Amino acid sequence: MAAPLITARSLTRRYGAVTALDALTVAIEPGITGLVGANGAGKSTFVKILLGIVDPSEGDAAVMGHDVVRERANIRALVGYMPEHDCLPPDMSATEFVSFMARCSGLPVTAARERTAEVLRHVGLFEERYRPMGGYSTGMAQRVKLAQALVHDPRLLILDEPTNGLDPEGRDEMLALVSRTGREFGISVLVSSHLLGELERICERIVLIEQGRLLRAEQVGALTSETATLVVELDGDAAALAAFVARVAAAGLLVQAERQRVLVELPDTATPAALDAAYDAVRDAAAMSDTGILRLERRRGHLQDLFAEAGA
Amino acid sequence: MTPTDSTIHDLGYRRYDGEREGARGAFRALYWQGFRAMFGVGRPMKTKAVPVFVSVVTMLPALASVAASGATQGQLPITYANVIGAQALLFLLFSAAQAPEMLCRDQQHRVLPLLFTRDVTRTHYALARLLALFTAMFLVALAPLLILYLGEIGVAKDPGATFAKMGNKLGPVLLFATLLAWVMSTVSAFLSSLTPRRAYATAAVIGGFLGTVVISQGLQDLAGMSEAATKMIDPIETLRTTAMQLFGETKRWMELTPPPSVWVHVAALTALGFAAAAGLVWRVRRVPV
Repeated sequence: MAAPLITARSLTRRYGAVTALDALTVAIEPGITGLVGANGAGKSTFVKILLGIVDPSEGDAAVMGHDVVRERANIRALVGYMPEHDCLPPDMSATEFVSFMARCSGLPVTAARERTAEVLRHVGLFEERYRPMGGYSTGMAQRVKLAQALVHDPRLLILDEPTNGLDPEGRDEMLALVSRTGREFGISVLVSSHLLGELERICERIVLIEQGRLLRAEQVGALTSETATLVVELDGDAAALAAFVARVAAAGLLVQAERQRVLVELPDTATPAALDAAYDAVRDAAAMSDTGILRLERRRGHLQDLFAEAGA
Repeated sequence: MTPTDSTIHDLGYRRYDGEREGARGAFRALYWQGFRAMFGVGRPMKTKAVPVFVSVVTMLPALASVAASGATQGQLPITYANVIGAQALLFLLFSAAQAPEMLCRDQQHRVLPLLFTRDVTRTHYALARLLALFTAMFLVALAPLLILYLGEIGVAKDPGATFAKMGNKLGPVLLFATLLAWVMSTVSAFLSSLTPRRAYATAAVIGGFLGTVVISQGLQDLAGMSEAATKMIDPIETLRTTAMQLFGETKRWMELTPPPSVWVHVAALTALGFAAAAGLVWRVRRVPV
């Protein structure tokens, strides 16, 4: 396992009588991590402590080995922050704003200008970048907010509800952008959301918090582990499909047809050899019944089930 | 990059391994961006209205004064303190309108969380913004005084002799511009940092300065305190008196009840500025983000 990116030890933050974070202990590894919780669960407080703009009442936390209170200055260059709220002055253009932010991260003027052009292109903002940001759509504003978080080349990107206020198409684009940033550029991402469904798609790990406490922190793979059902999508006419089902059944496997899709139950006592035999049977059946296999995968559990479980 | 054909080259994401100037670079960026905003540079036209208006209107009487002195062959002396004292409210307008342009806007548009998670500490932020306002006000206050100073030398029959005689006036010119900019910028910056609403901040700055006029007048009329003492409560009047003393001019009331020495005034104004600057830093260190 890689060294932890973020560690928190009995992290507590109280606002008067309200306890926003309650002895949160968690270790987060590099990669894309989702921070999930209902509104008011303590996501933003956790994020702000990591960023060093809110002090913990008790406990401590570290980002890439730097303590968030004592070594605040060392964390600045390593972290990029995209807040949940609006933060764009309406009469500035995206170019001006992002390059000003780059300079506030200590980049020299020329470098700030070059990085600004690059990150704005990366987030997909072109001619609009010279116009005042007051006229931007929510989607464009979110892109600028992501660009300013990336402009100083951080090692960790902290995104607070990046899909807030976006329409479904905008959501997909933003998630694709976040996913690309995390996977292709080697920048770790901590992304918070109250929507589990969208994090499931892009995150490698999920940290689930509720009322300031850690509920679960696991790999998405472990959470949505493979089930014993094999999903096979086929290309072919009805007769060919029927022939395929018959042949798989003849091989001794439980099979169920749903239009172009066939669900095959794998043996419970799945030794590698037995699994291989089952896969072979499916392949042979397809070859002999003149159907093409479009997709073949183990069905996965859904995070939604986990959420229901945790809420119960 | 010169576009030689219509192909778009997606270079993907590139790492930045270049120089990082850290807190020093961030301070400079904040200062420079703030200083430009004080004159509306690179901003919409309406933000240029107040700085341009104040600069022009404060320079005109100075030019007129120089012209009058020139036309009368120097018979009509140039009275620095009178000219600049009459402009005090215009300088107040500048600081009341422009200080919120920086300090309230950053709060209103919630830019502070972005700044404070970069190489900008809260104290650096407060000092960079204050310095930007101070420099802008210093230049605005210096302009008419410099016109008077250069004009007085220029219109003299023998500029060389006049310069030798009044070369020492440059000290008071610089000192007074510094004092005025220091008092007005610190107090306006402190009051503006208290609210994200620009209109409230402008009202607070003007109300704050003019409120002292009322108190000063009230104490004089009702409590029967001496004019020299009550004028010390009113920073603008104190600035005017200080100008009179620095430029060796006088008014009737000053002869009747001599005010404290010029250095008492300078010390009081400097201290007021430091108190307001400390208040600004205190507030910015606590402003919720």
